[in-house]
Amino acid sequence: MKLTHLMIASTALAGSATLAAAQETIDIINCGAGDDAAAEVQQADIEEWMAANEGYEVTVEYVPWGQCQERAITLAAAGDPAAISYMGSRVLKQLAGSGLIRPFDLTEEEANSYESSVLSTVQFDGQVWGLPRAFSTKALYWNKGLFEEAGLDMPDGPQSWDDVMTAAQAITENTDAAGIGIPAAEFDNTMHEFLNWLYANGGEVIDADGNVVFDSPNNIETLQFMADLAPYMEEGPLAYDRAELEPLFREGQIAMYTNGGWGRAVTGDVDYGIAPIPGGPSGDGPSTLLITDSLVVFEGSGVEEAAMDLVKFLTDTERQAEFDEGGGWTPIRATARSDELMANDPSWTVFIEAVPTGGPEPSVVDYVAMQDVMNAAIQDVITGDATPEEAAAEAQAELEELAAE
Amino acid sequence: MSPVETSHPASAAPATAAAAPAVVAAPRRIDWFPYLLLIPAALLTLVIVAWPLIETFRLSFTDASLRGESYVGAENYVEIFEDDFAEIMIRTFIWMFLGVTLKIVMGVIGAVLLNAALPGRAIFRILVMPPWIVPIAIGVFMWSWMYNGQFGMISGLAQRFGLIDGPFEFLAYGTSAFLATVVTDVWVGTPLVALYLLAAMQSIPTELYEAAWTDGAGRFYRFRRITLPLIAPSIFTVALLSAIWTFNSFDIIWILTEGGPRGSTTTMIIDTYKTAISRFRFGEGAARAVMILVCLTAFAGAYLALMARSQRDAR
Repeated sequence: MKLTHLMIASTALAGSATLAAAQETIDIINCGAGDDAAAEVQQADIEEWMAANEGYEVTVEYVPWGQCQERAITLAAAGDPAAISYMGSRVLKQLAGSGLIRPFDLTEEEANSYESSVLSTVQFDGQVWGLPRAFSTKALYWNKGLFEEAGLDMPDGPQSWDDVMTAAQAITENTDAAGIGIPAAEFDNTMHEFLNWLYANGGEVIDADGNVVFDSPNNIETLQFMADLAPYMEEGPLAYDRAELEPLFREGQIAMYTNGGWGRAVTGDVDYGIAPIPGGPSGDGPSTLLITDSLVVFEGSGVEEAAMDLVKFLTDTERQAEFDEGGGWTPIRATARSDELMANDPSWTVFIEAVPTGGPEPSVVDYVAMQDVMNAAIQDVITGDATPEEAAAEAQAELEELAAE
Repeated sequence: MSPVETSHPASAAPATAAAAPAVVAAPRRIDWFPYLLLIPAALLTLVIVAWPLIETFRLSFTDASLRGESYVGAENYVEIFEDDFAEIMIRTFIWMFLGVTLKIVMGVIGAVLLNAALPGRAIFRILVMPPWIVPIAIGVFMWSWMYNGQFGMISGLAQRFGLIDGPFEFLAYGTSAFLATVVTDVWVGTPLVALYLLAAMQSIPTELYEAAWTDGAGRFYRFRRITLPLIAPSIFTVALLSAIWTFNSFDIIWILTEGGPRGSTTTMIIDTYKTAISRFRFGEGAARAVMILVCLTAFAGAYLALMARSQRDAR
């Protein structure tokens, strides 16, 4: 009797193992904790895709933000890649240049569904290397109470760099708060902050021909603006990244700072306004840095084609819009849903209308080295260790070397 | 014939050789069994220690990155010294020297206090443990908030006592950030040193103190002439261990400053991590790792030589 049971169990086990072997697995490395509404939306979409593709099992591994990118790249470099990974679009050039990821074939209709400025964050060498998954633009948050206390009459907030400077000075001198919060720590959003103002002043880091132009007059003017703002910044800006400025704004310690749409949820009781990042004296008007995170497909997983199909499925216009809404991200595409979003919550308008004017993160192979070089230039002008011209010249030389790699 | 002579025929041979030259020692049999038992441990050591070391050496002579690798000779070593690596090395040694020295000084003071026959001694011994018991990341995050200028306790107290006019961001300036990382490292590392030295102090025979006391020796004299010499080997040992841990300390600096501002807290291990892991320049990172190994080997070698000499002197 026992032997019979054992044989039945063995047969069932062998059968289930064969069944499991017949199913191919698509592993996804996703950043975050997987406990938000966006993750729920994604999981539902994955299950829908699996129902239509019965030969595949999709597993999602959530890795904390600080480690997820390095984990995915290290696995790929070791020859054991996940099929799909969530990545900051800034590293796509490095991954593509290393042959680790596979480009997407988009139909004209699919490509046109994106704003060109958004697609530019994942496109180079004529190919699209990832599909945008999360998107952010930035705007200037300003504390109405502190503006009033400083005697400023700017009902719509600062509209030019002069306004920003005037307001920052008046608030620093007439209230207990600092005029503006600027992140300048050893972190990516120090460079991101600078790029917001740089694009608003018509500047670039790498021009359309691939030349490094960090020492251009527009860029030096932007560095000078940072240096001029320094006396009105929070104490010790080199210790702050953007997230650390949020409590300062909430507590009325700074009167202005830039942040993404999520910043509206962390303002506490502050009576605040949101303005586009004002255009500089040499710019064409307000602008913003466009940052996307993407879903990429790694080479070597053995399920590349299915992974491509799944990524396209997940980032399809309607599903992506639902995902954006769940995560509180700026909508990646202009759709009826994004119009509805602005109608229901007008504070979205500044973030969404900034999209066509924005620019992407500069693309070089060694992104971290570029970030370090630009951060050093920004920090040097803020601390007064270098003039804008000196900082720009030094950064220019180092960026040229990096761009040549 | 005694059992000792039976089991050690070779040692007995010189004494009897002249008298009985015809005696032939039995061929010595090698017992392979102990070596056999060592094989798993040796294999494990080879796999988890030797192989990564060899691989690191090999990588350091390549330009390995995400794009693949090719042999570049000593180029990585030449390049790191053309950059600011020498400055980073000096900074690392200063960081280590300051950290270890303060930990030893604080550790000795702490051990003396914990060893003293004071009321509530057991409670103090427990209270000294938290910096060591609390996960380092949590402890360091706590310090990062204390260093915050706007909301931090240190800046707040300094303002309240009139030491500074306004908020001061300890992590925003090179010198203060560097010292802040040292202080945090000392906070984390001192309890272990204190407990290690406390154990050494408790192993000193009390008769020595009683005899000295009878001879009229004061507290400080007893500490200088009895305690300190007898715990000196323990101080050397814990100093070496502390030096290695401090030299390789990563999490404290990474959580507090990530090596900033402007590289003022970038030590060799932080620089190696940034190069190899953040920038995926595995070859260059391996060369930096080899430099760390060389430094630590030299440091440990000097220490071992010192210990050997002091043991010879003691004999």
